Amino acid sequence: MKRFYLVGFLLLMSFDTLAQISFKYAGNHALPVAASLDWLLRVFGAPWIYGAIVGYVGAFFTWMSLLKHAPIGPAFAASHLEVVSVLLLSAWLFGDALTPSRIIGAVLIVAGIVCLGLAEGREEAASGHPDSGPAP
Amino acid sequence: MSPLVVALWLANIVLDTVGQLAFKAAAGDRHAGDGLARWKYMASHPWLWLGIACYVLEFLVWVAFLSLLPLSEGVLLGSINIVVIMLAGRWLFGERLTRLRLIGMFLVAVGVAVVGAGA
Repeated sequence: MKRFYLVGFLLLMSFDTLAQISFKYAGNHALPVAASLDWLLRVFGAPWIYGAIVGYVGAFFTWMSLLKHAPIGPAFAASHLEVVSVLLLSAWLFGDALTPSRIIGAVLIVAGIVCLGLAEGREEAASGHPDSGPAP
Repeated sequence: MSPLVVALWLANIVLDTVGQLAFKAAAGDRHAGDGLARWKYMASHPWLWLGIACYVLEFLVWVAFLSLLPLSEGVLLGSINIVVIMLAGRWLFGERLTRLRLIGMFLVAVGVAVVGAGA
């Protein structure tokens, strides 16, 4: 069962990461930003946006199957921890600088997400039934 | 950060929060029944559609937002949605904010502020 969770969480994180990286490529390809049909055509005319859709749909179904078995606390935390993988991958793929403010900010955000995950876990233990978590 | 980036960031927060709350309102309606009847009920009431409309718009806003700043920064700044949705859940659905939840929300908010200040 432990392996099921581990694989599930990693899969969720991978889908979320795929979505964010695809969003970035899709957006870059469609520059400059404009509230126009041309911009929409540039977004949907390149393959990247479909990677984002695959990532979203994959994350949704992974999240739903995880919630069926996994406790909400860790599942909630895992559904938001893609900030870490995206941070590392964007340094590699896009050459984003890992500046002190980004690293400190990321550490605080991850600590906050872990607290929220723990809080959700306690709620569930106290009430005896899982609360529905946010979609990824 | 340019005014356009800030406007897109705010639009993303509003759309994500309204969308999540609309889905919650649709899913939590006690008159909805079960199974297929539940989906029919939800489809004939506005909440589900409001949620879907928000998500479609949010999708486009997010593409535009991420194209204007580094991905690492965009994703970190987007984490503020977690905090806003929890506050809105407390306000509209009376969801409890335990001490641990408040600490978590505070840490996320400070983290986003640190990233924003460095941008």
